[in-house]
Amino acid sequence: MSALRHIVYREWITRVRRKAFILGTLAVPLLVMGSMAIGWWLEQGDNQKSRVLVVDVAGMVSQWDERFESWVPICPDCFPDRASLTYRFAAEGMEDEAFIASDFDVMVVFDDAILQHHKAMYYYEQTPGFDLQAHLKTDLSMALERFKVKETQDLDFTTYQRLKTQVSLVGQDIVTRDGHAVGRSLVGFVFSLFLFMQILIYGMHVMRGVIEEKINRIVEVVISVVKPSVLMTGKVIGIGLVGLTQFMVLSVLVWIITLVGGMWLEHADVLKSSSDALMGLDLESWIAGQAELNFLLDVNWPLMIASTAMFYVAGFALYAASFAAIGAAVEQESDAQYFLIPAMAPLVASYFLAVVAIENPEGPLAVIASFVPFTAPVVMLIRIPLGVAWWEVLLSWLGVAFTAWLLLRMAGRIYRVGILMHGKRPSWVELIKWFRHAD
Amino acid sequence: MERIPALAISQVVKSFRAHQALKGVDVRVNEGGIFGLLGPNGAGKTTLIRMLTGITAPDAGSISFFGTPLTRAHIAQIGYLPEERGLYKSMRVGEQALYFAQLRGMQRQEAEKRLRVWFEKLEVEGWWNREVADLSKGMAQKVQFIIAVLHEPRLLILDEPFSGFDPINAQRVRDAVIELKEKQGTTVLLSTHDMGSVEELCDEVALLNRGEVILDGPVHALREQARDGRFTLRFRGTIMEFTVAIGASAELIQVLHSESTVGEHEVMLRLSPEGDIASWLHWISGEVKVVACTPWQPSMRDVFIETVENRESNSMPS
Repeated sequence: MSALRHIVYREWITRVRRKAFILGTLAVPLLVMGSMAIGWWLEQGDNQKSRVLVVDVAGMVSQWDERFESWVPICPDCFPDRASLTYRFAAEGMEDEAFIASDFDVMVVFDDAILQHHKAMYYYEQTPGFDLQAHLKTDLSMALERFKVKETQDLDFTTYQRLKTQVSLVGQDIVTRDGHAVGRSLVGFVFSLFLFMQILIYGMHVMRGVIEEKINRIVEVVISVVKPSVLMTGKVIGIGLVGLTQFMVLSVLVWIITLVGGMWLEHADVLKSSSDALMGLDLESWIAGQAELNFLLDVNWPLMIASTAMFYVAGFALYAASFAAIGAAVEQESDAQYFLIPAMAPLVASYFLAVVAIENPEGPLAVIASFVPFTAPVVMLIRIPLGVAWWEVLLSWLGVAFTAWLLLRMAGRIYRVGILMHGKRPSWVELIKWFRHAD
Repeated sequence: MERIPALAISQVVKSFRAHQALKGVDVRVNEGGIFGLLGPNGAGKTTLIRMLTGITAPDAGSISFFGTPLTRAHIAQIGYLPEERGLYKSMRVGEQALYFAQLRGMQRQEAEKRLRVWFEKLEVEGWWNREVADLSKGMAQKVQFIIAVLHEPRLLILDEPFSGFDPINAQRVRDAVIELKEKQGTTVLLSTHDMGSVEELCDEVALLNRGEVILDGPVHALREQARDGRFTLRFRGTIMEFTVAIGASAELIQVLHSESTVGEHEVMLRLSPEGDIASWLHWISGEVKVVACTPWQPSMRDVFIETVENRESNSMPS
């Protein structure tokens, strides 16, 4: 048991201290957080208002105001005074030189033709940002809409806005009264995709580790001290723990980023309800106010993380057993392709089944796949956020765990013969012979 | 009362499908000695060693370790330096040596203490925190040797331990092996093709060929036995005259050396069984000018080659 502990620790520590692992695990979420901070910082530094001149040749959206002796918008609501944008109006455009010399950043020309083709020309000296373009499009569209409503239907614009309707669908399970199933299955898909990638990446680590020991000829020293089955089990557990460590660290980091990010968003008054633009909210209330996001509050996150960890452990052991046997049978990675295709086929199939399961998470295909040991780890994670009975999850997990145990035993028989064999790649028939005559 | 041997290998058989690697091997290794396991490539040495280290098991026969049947429980008392050896490249030198010590059940503190001593003895002390990938081949070999002996095994199995070493480091490791034998009473099983090391280190040897022991015994006895009445004679004259002169009184086995400028030759001879060397020398001195005559002392290399070649020629179909 002591030897197994040392093997597990060696496999784990020599990987988690690698720069690639540290960068991959810590730097990626930090980079995301960093880029968010940089974005915020740039936004803070870039708080100069852009000045936009709307040249309303046909007088569709502006009128002359004697009091101010200037052109003002007919519909002030259509051109709100935004933090980053301020409008001025004119009946005539400026010459190029005059525009360059002016303090305007953008000049938009609003003429008769806009009613036909819905396109407005705009001129600039420096390319405006996406935000500014989006605001311009929204504001000009609204102003034009108002003009058309008034001109063509003689309808009050406020009434028109009240009549204007956009239908959105809100579904609900008639039994559970659950209305966010699709969103939650997407959360499950994110977890299952992560699990799929972890099994694949760290399964390959197992295979490479076995090949390394074999070609370095170190395996003979190790198996003169411990049984080959102990070495293989230690390798599978150790490398599996590397994947689990990464998952746990990422979970904690994402939680911290959400916490810190939420606090920052609250602090920066970015979270504002749509009904009251002035009122800042906490992150949870803000998410609840966003119809397309509030399924996130219904997800049982601790259950998802625990289930992912459990299915990762069993699923990884299941696939890593095959990868270890393949590593023992070959002397270089290129030779392994021959055996890898059938070994990886169920894993790749489980990914495609997961994609199908998002469309219909309670369909027969998804349900069956979530109980087949080779596909269950990936597919069951899509169903769990929808509320699967605990005994179904347990049964599925036990199936995976039992199959993993069987495969580890079978792989161990090939492994203990293969690691001492050198020369040409064995055939499938030879592998079967190794399995049968391992004693 | 007969002493219990460190290893008693009795009628051990091992086959790999159609190929019989060991055909009833008997070897007895005495405690506290250095035993040479010799044989040409493919003779079955590595197969036998793998059985001793528990990597494989015999199909038939028995192996006893200090009087009890060899089991995996004895592995902790065996040190093994395989011929094909390596180290984990992603680990530091000291860390790796500690890992193997702990795999063998040693406590970290004790292992670290012993490692410091060995690192100093074999001049590896500056490499403790260096990556294994930075080690030269000889330096890596020394670390592998330390890993094999650190736990102070009762039986130390060394498979080609001196290959890859320069003469100075090879001698340093030889001295370390002798020290282990003399100070700790370690029994050493040495498998090597380096016959110089066999003569220098081994008390006894067994010569394996095609899965069978074809020769075994103490090194000095085997060399003596291989003399077989042979001696070398240096004389002046011609080979033709000499051959005619000796007639049937002696067998000319080999012309070892000829210096045509002075007409001096060195030959190996064997007298007929009833011949007496003193009277024969007296007689031949009258026929040719004898410069020197010495009894021939075969090296272990000679013993090895002659024994294997004789066996091969005897087993050839006539």
